[in-house]
Amino acid sequence: MEKGGIRLDPVTIDTTKIKTIKRRPVTAIDKLEDTGMISTILAAREREGLILFSTIDQVFNWARLSSLWPVTSGLACCAIEMMATAMAHHDIARFGMEIFRASPRQADLMFVAGTVTKRMAPRVKKLYEMMAEPKWVIAVGACASTGGPYHESYSVLKGVDNIIPVDVYVPGCPPRPEAFLYAVIQLREKIKNEGYGAKWGLNK
Amino acid sequence: METDELILNMGPVHPSTHGVLRFRLRMDGEIIKNCEIVMGYLHRGTEKLGEMKTYLQFIPYTDRLDYISAMPNNYAYVKAVEELAGIEVPQRAEYIRVMIMELNRIVNHIVSIGSLLMDLGAATMIMWGFRERETALQLFEQLCGARMTFNYIKPGGVREDLPEGFIPKLREWMKDMEKRLVDYEQLINDNEIFHMRMKDIGTISAQEAINYGLTGPSLRGSGVDYDMRKIEPYSIYPDIDFKACTRPEGDSYARYIVRIDEIKESLQILRQVIDSMPEGKIVSNAKYGIAPMTGSPSSVMTYFPRIFTPHAGEVYSRIEAPKGELGFYIVSDGTTKPYRVKIRSPSFCNLTAIPKMVQGLRIPDLIAAFGTIDVVLGDVDR
Amino acid sequence: MNAAEELKNALPNSVVSISFQLDKPLAIIKKEDILKAATIARDMGFVHLSVITGIDYCDRYEVVYNFLSYVRKQNLVLKVILDHNNPVVDSLTSIWKGADWLERETYDLVGIKFSGHPDLKRILLPEGWAGHPLQKDYDMKTEQFVTIGDDGEDIVSTDGSNLLRRKYHGN
Repeated sequence: MEKGGIRLDPVTIDTTKIKTIKRRPVTAIDKLEDTGMISTILAAREREGLILFSTIDQVFNWARLSSLWPVTSGLACCAIEMMATAMAHHDIARFGMEIFRASPRQADLMFVAGTVTKRMAPRVKKLYEMMAEPKWVIAVGACASTGGPYHESYSVLKGVDNIIPVDVYVPGCPPRPEAFLYAVIQLREKIKNEGYGAKWGLNK
Repeated sequence: METDELILNMGPVHPSTHGVLRFRLRMDGEIIKNCEIVMGYLHRGTEKLGEMKTYLQFIPYTDRLDYISAMPNNYAYVKAVEELAGIEVPQRAEYIRVMIMELNRIVNHIVSIGSLLMDLGAATMIMWGFRERETALQLFEQLCGARMTFNYIKPGGVREDLPEGFIPKLREWMKDMEKRLVDYEQLINDNEIFHMRMKDIGTISAQEAINYGLTGPSLRGSGVDYDMRKIEPYSIYPDIDFKACTRPEGDSYARYIVRIDEIKESLQILRQVIDSMPEGKIVSNAKYGIAPMTGSPSSVMTYFPRIFTPHAGEVYSRIEAPKGELGFYIVSDGTTKPYRVKIRSPSFCNLTAIPKMVQGLRIPDLIAAFGTIDVVLGDVDR
Repeated sequence: MNAAEELKNALPNSVVSISFQLDKPLAIIKKEDILKAATIARDMGFVHLSVITGIDYCDRYEVVYNFLSYVRKQNLVLKVILDHNNPVVDSLTSIWKGADWLERETYDLVGIKFSGHPDLKRILLPEGWAGHPLQKDYDMKTEQFVTIGDDGEDIVSTDGSNLLRRKYHGN
């Protein structure tokens, strides 16, 4: 397997062998036939189509990063720039992310866009917990990252990472839409290198 | 048919509450019997921070109150400080201030109308609005380096002079905006669905509006032609020819139309300001140490003292922000920091009237009426 | 004759003194008579209650009411001075509906009580928050955390272990 890429190879399969040991699957190729995969491959060969081999990691990660659906969790000033990112000029649809979901159940990315106050903190945490795995968090702006200009305030939480894990931090007050997009690209890079099940700790 | 009362909770995370606001609705079937507003989810303790920071350090915090129209916030605070300290402002600085505030007013109304339409289910307007907003933000950025939170207006003047080529670009934007405004009106004004959603929804009479302390477009939508720029003229508004836009109906549609009219008026003001923009200094000197930098190559190069101390005293100063009356009450005890900063935010006071407006209506009407009040949660909770 | 003088003529016993707040006429009112004075101010044309400000001066509290008359285009400032131990003043909600939230906010942040207010409770901070932040002796060192109870309402405590996922680095 080449690093970082997906190998595209035409496949050669000995069809005579498949016929003979049809009843007792022993090899991997027999098992494949049981799933109906072999007939698919054969059909593809007849059409002179291409067959793609990859790892589960890469396929899953590719599927996940290509269409991250964010939950609408705008809290303060940064939410306006989040809206600007979603609009025509900066067009977050280029990343397959234009569908801001109102329900956390349908989302897999949370922009914590704005100041997290003490009163809002349990709600933000609950929202995060309601999202289905796998899920990612981008802390947008100085307030969400560290408390920012409100660090000395009595009612502001000093960084959303005190309550939920954060994948990408974006500096700025508020960050420009370009910074949002850069954060998204960084997150995609991160997802690309995740192991299958790493989020659930299956690889231990 | 008898129905049980239902308590419906809406928010604080809800796509059409313009931020983190929560309604606790007591419903009789589809009808709202009582609407209680729970707020404070964005309470950042700005007033306490005002006591902990020096006069100049607090200006960036005012940006973050009403983050859609930050420039009037800057101005309102600075105006209060200037009144307290008795600082004179050069004419050119006043012209730049008014120009940039009116530009911000247009941006605010565009966003307000766009998000109102989006709440009603029409996505076109917000796309259009943000297109014009984006080009306006580029102008702001050229002027002061920031898109939303400017920190541009300072006691005694403004921070930077106009950059080269700013006025022609602004003229171009205004020309474009005039054309776009026609598009907006064609799209929205006579739309039948829009009429059905907006007319006779959230009605409030002139008497009640004053009693609830409404200000700004929300008050003028009820036929009260009170505009702080007219009643207590500040800056260069006495020299400018404009009118306070009103509508007599007092419903959501009237408030929307007032905003569209105000965009036109603001364009009118912008044109006058640009045409009569004087030359000269952009910051006053010799008061409280605000002086031109010695040996600077150009007379407009100035610095602002980081620390200055006004006399002990109190001041309440108000302006007409895009959302209504924005006032700062500052108590000075003669030290470098204010003793008390109180913010009279238009969103907070306008929101008071929502429970009255929506009583007996349905939930979609609540969204419509709420959208026309045009609140920003940073301004409500502070 | 400015508005404060008019008010003194109408209510000679209630007005303690008159002066100016920069250029705005200011009248200091006895705290028992604020409702009476405000009613007269409204009848004089000061229909718009701009803002209610509570200020903690360590030895006393002051509540400042800023009024504006749309017709006369004039300002009027009323002020009451309250005892530091028990700051209570009459509510203006019977005259201005808009005073409701302004008074709740003053109660929440400054700790001034308004007698006769229909629903005087905290508005910006959650119920159960210890202290009033804009009092000068408010304890800024102690962190308070909010969690949600079973009924969805806020619970305030200084222990954030239910909420936080690591040690909290406060001020």
